[in-house]
Amino acid sequence: MVFNSYTFVVFFIIILILHNLPFSWKTKKINLLIASYIFYAAWNPPFILLLWMSTVIDFFVGRALYTQTNVRKKRLLLVISLIGNLGMLCFFKYGTFLLDNFVTVVNAIGWNFHPAKPSIILPAGISFYTFTTLCYTIDMYHKKSEPVKKLLDFSLFVTFFPHLVAGPIVRPPQLVPQFETERKATKKMMLEGLFLISVGLFMKVVLADSMLSATANDVFGNPGKLPALDAWMGVLAFSGQIFFDFSGYSTCAVGAAMCLGFWLPQNFLYPYAATGFSDFWKRWHITLSAWLRDYLYIPLGGNRKGKVRTYINLMLTMLLGGLWHGANWTFVVWGGLHGFYLWVEKAIADLRHDKVAAIAATPAGEVGVLGPVPEMLKPKIFRNFLIAMATFFLINVTWVFFRATNFHDAWSVLTAMFGFTKGGEAMLTTLAIYKVIIIVTGMVIVSWIMRDKKVLEVIYKLPWWLVGLFWTIIVLLIIWSQESSSSFIYFQF
Amino acid sequence: MPNQPLAKAALLMLVIVVVAVTSWEIHLRNQGFDTTYYDDPALWAHKRKMVYEPSDKATVFSGSSRIKFDTDIDTWESVTGEHAIQLACVGSTPLPVLDNLANDEKFKGKLIVDVVEGLFFSIHGADDRPVRNIKYYKEETPAQWASFHINHLLESQLVFLDKEWNSLGAKLDELPLKDRPGVQNFKGFPSDFGRVKFSRQEFMTDKMAADTSISNKVIAIWQMFGRANTTPPITGKPLDSLFAAIKTSVDKIKARGGKVIFVRPPSSGGYRAAERKFFPREAYWDKLLAATSIEGIHYEDYPVLAKLTCPEESHLKQSDAKVFTSELIKILKEKGWFNTSATK
Repeated sequence: MVFNSYTFVVFFIIILILHNLPFSWKTKKINLLIASYIFYAAWNPPFILLLWMSTVIDFFVGRALYTQTNVRKKRLLLVISLIGNLGMLCFFKYGTFLLDNFVTVVNAIGWNFHPAKPSIILPAGISFYTFTTLCYTIDMYHKKSEPVKKLLDFSLFVTFFPHLVAGPIVRPPQLVPQFETERKATKKMMLEGLFLISVGLFMKVVLADSMLSATANDVFGNPGKLPALDAWMGVLAFSGQIFFDFSGYSTCAVGAAMCLGFWLPQNFLYPYAATGFSDFWKRWHITLSAWLRDYLYIPLGGNRKGKVRTYINLMLTMLLGGLWHGANWTFVVWGGLHGFYLWVEKAIADLRHDKVAAIAATPAGEVGVLGPVPEMLKPKIFRNFLIAMATFFLINVTWVFFRATNFHDAWSVLTAMFGFTKGGEAMLTTLAIYKVIIIVTGMVIVSWIMRDKKVLEVIYKLPWWLVGLFWTIIVLLIIWSQESSSSFIYFQF
Repeated sequence: MPNQPLAKAALLMLVIVVVAVTSWEIHLRNQGFDTTYYDDPALWAHKRKMVYEPSDKATVFSGSSRIKFDTDIDTWESVTGEHAIQLACVGSTPLPVLDNLANDEKFKGKLIVDVVEGLFFSIHGADDRPVRNIKYYKEETPAQWASFHINHLLESQLVFLDKEWNSLGAKLDELPLKDRPGVQNFKGFPSDFGRVKFSRQEFMTDKMAADTSISNKVIAIWQMFGRANTTPPITGKPLDSLFAAIKTSVDKIKARGGKVIFVRPPSSGGYRAAERKFFPREAYWDKLLAATSIEGIHYEDYPVLAKLTCPEESHLKQSDAKVFTSELIKILKEKGWFNTSATK
């Protein structure tokens, strides 16, 4: 089920009514759990079995990991959990990719091996809930937090529908305690939740789907040669589309949880206002970058094992982060480019003997960065804006690899962007170009103005009628755009 | 109370949204708009599920926009007593749908395939809509199924729910912006063209049928399509391969007791002249019938059909669609289409 569908509207109204009826807290939690399973099963009912399997295995393994004192048995339990979770992810997400690469390699060395193409369907959100359950068992292994006492609470933690299929990736201490005592949205929370859902749907339905997706699809689906203008417009359209799509989803998720009385962590903080790449990763898909930092970068040694290892760990983290997004080498290159940018940024910072801590807290106070923030990037507004624009420019280059389905297509777009393609035929209409220029410029300006602010704080500083008019406009545009319930880009990850 | 401003804002939003949407709905009704349905993959999939009805109770239509406009489903169903299942897709070749039905062992019914030469005798057709529709049909989720039914409930009541002509995107497409040289902008069909019923029948409004200035706009778009299509018509081996693929599909349906017939609906004026020039009947239509051993109904062979003219050279107006359908039924009856025993 997607948030931008009539099914979800009906579903959510029923859930809100049930959640506000005078049932016991346990009954309400059971209602939420059943609703979450329905939310997931509305996609592909059989895959609910995977979710159950993952939940049950990790609940019991997690508890055993916490209480087990024998180191060997403890390691064995962790291996079971890792094999269970990552094995499932590898089979469904990377099975075909691994087989294709194996076939390419063995054919290259002369073994004529051509197996039948497997037909594996990717369960929605598997990358997200696998990371959610994985961090629980790893935390239990390190005794970082208490095991969840009740299977009901653990199941709800894994399955809670607002975050289930596309995050934010939650940690047990962020959500489980919220299930321990009865929660119901106050009037303020309810209104703020509904406001956030409206903003999220506006981003997804109006900006991503109605205004930008067609241009991105046309450019990346064009088999011919493109002039630089069309190539840039396609990349900028995708840059806006993926931000509005994913950030819109996360905003809806946070809003839906608030309407039920729960808090979810923020996943985006105006990433296109980032002054540098470590800053970008503090602002883009925050819960994933925090996860990668805590469960990959730091266990690899982080910055504790010397400069060379720090650089290697940084690159490994970004390469695996790229692969997490999709079973394709283009995603690995996307991650590699980000790793390279972080290298350069870190090298500049090292040269300047910058002592900014590698792990810095965001304004939200809960996540960090993979590298240092150079001091040179601090106050000076105009210079910082130019650096933000340079960062945005380089991030657009990475999106080419993220969006293109293969290297040939990526190369075609890149060469066109930088004027190396001769004889490109103009394909985008004037309207398409205007849409991209207006929306992307607006996105960058709003990001810059809002970069250190939160929407829910800003609306209380504005006159109520102005907020009301803004709310009216976005709701009318959602209704007017009449986009059908298209899926969110990140569901495929 | 810190939340009071947001409560006031919410109330203001609700009032304005209700007033604005109601006003928009009333305005569109006063402009003469009626309810219409968005012909998306969900609606197509809804019809695709119906093809398993017994062959003496239903006929499936496949093709491009001509059969969608020219077959008046109310006339068909009232005269024949049979259900008409419309699977044609605008601007595209019917061959993916033919292939899909041929490879569906459960389909044993009657299939009418519309032949629009420029689309039918091409390798890929102009639009991948049939492929997208089939994919959606195969992968439709329970959530999508539920959304479709809720959407149907709303679309059948509210005129402003009209993505094709009255949505934000459609209105932006109407902006008079000059495109760069060489850019083909295929938007700009008038809103009186292409209204859709829940049966997926498409029709032009009576206003368009009567107003040549609107029809001329559509004719200009056809001419632009013609100029944009620089690919020569397929001939030789690719054409023979196409015939072979069609025959394979048709034979599969016939082997299960199903029936297939080709229909060539009317076209007029410059459009027809271009079709005659690029797709001469003897080299395409006649060869198709011979290669597949399937009967065909070409409008030029029947005096009543040959007299019909298309306001914008490619599709019939509503009143003529009724004539076309009645006549088609008569011809099909003569050919034994409605006989219960299957033709093999």
